[in-house]
Amino acid sequence: MSECIVVTSGKGGVGKTTCSANLGVSLALQGATVAVVDADIGLRNLDVILGLENRIVYDLVHVIEGECRLKQALIRDKRAEGLYLLPAAQTRDKNSVTPQQMRELINELKEEFDYVLVDCPAGIEQGFKNAVAGADRAIIVTTPEVSAIRDADRIIGMVEAAELPEPHLVINRYRSKMVRRGDMMNKEDILEILAIPLLGIVPDHEDIIISSNRGIPVVFDETSVVGEAFRRIGRRLHGEPNVPELDFSEGNGIWGTMKRWMGLAQGVA
Amino acid sequence: MTELFNRFLNRKDSSKDDAKARLKVLLIHDQVDLTPAQLDAMQEEITAVIQKYVEIDRENSVVRLERGDDRIALISSVPVRRVIERGLPA
Ligand SMILES: Nc1ncnc2c1ncn2[C@@H]1O[C@H](COP(=O)(O)OP(=O)(O)OP(=O)(O)O)[C@@H](O)[C@H]1O
Ligand SMILES: [Mg+2]
Repeated sequence: MSECIVVTSGKGGVGKTTCSANLGVSLALQGATVAVVDADIGLRNLDVILGLENRIVYDLVHVIEGECRLKQALIRDKRAEGLYLLPAAQTRDKNSVTPQQMRELINELKEEFDYVLVDCPAGIEQGFKNAVAGADRAIIVTTPEVSAIRDADRIIGMVEAAELPEPHLVINRYRSKMVRRGDMMNKEDILEILAIPLLGIVPDHEDIIISSNRGIPVVFDETSVVGEAFRRIGRRLHGEPNVPELDFSEGNGIWGTMKRWMGLAQGVA
Repeated sequence: MTELFNRFLNRKDSSKDDAKARLKVLLIHDQVDLTPAQLDAMQEEITAVIQKYVEIDRENSVVRLERGDDRIALISSVPVRRVIERGLPA
């Protein structure tokens, strides 16, 4: 049974593309076949985060306009067997695609792949409508900030209006030190307000920037806490809903790093 | 005691409580599409109607919107001082 999941947020810059890339890799590393689709037409980014930007020949709009076949536009990620990227067009705008065309495209992808992950653009307009058109369910990404949560709430309403099932939440850029001193809303605060099930928490971490510099998603890095956070979310998506939440409260000192390493080595943490 | 402890640690009130409180109000206004000014006006009108029938403690009256599980409710708490003794209002 194949499934299309849209990764969306409302507010821009909260981590949709980062999540789409890492969850795509994580699912593929677990043996699934995955197509990640960049639906951010005009502002493509997923290719860069995945480090595949030099291999683009055709894009999503070419496929939709019949200039190439779907297979020709899909870029295979050689580092993760079963992972393919369908890049967005960079020189077109969101109105060059209709929801109906997206739905057809997604259905075609679902025939080939176990998962189709759609990286949604920010906003609630045409780009959002296109991105959710073919989706079976949604992941909402937010950060623990007032504006991001407000927009997440709005998007949850729109996901409902699109008749998708209840979406799941990823809280990104979580800073446990700030949470501990009461300067950042904690998991419970956010869940109380948004009232949807939690899929996972991703810490705010410099490894994300380093990995985006290199074009190697952090989930490939066995020693990274953020990588581990994404691996766990990936497992929860892929049939292990009860994988425990990572405890990244140890801080970043030498002891924290050691504890983390030991935890990871035991596979528990 | 906690107060003292917090002062010792040079802590201010935690800002996340502000964030949460502001969010709750924001989300309600987003959903019902009423501005705080409109809500005030509504409260005025509702209290005016109530006052036709009973004498109330205006100082301690509240009329506000609250988010429940899947609906928004109008919560009002209006302390009644006494019932005005007469028939139907004019
Ligand atoms: N957990 C994290 N820790 C540190 N930095 C992060 C984290 N998640 C995302 N970022 C940074 O935040 C920025 C925005 O991330 P990303 O591009 O994934 O967001 P987006 O929601 O896709 O944005 P847009 O709405 O523009 O498409 C990037 O520079 C990324 O490196
Ligand atoms: Mg993006």
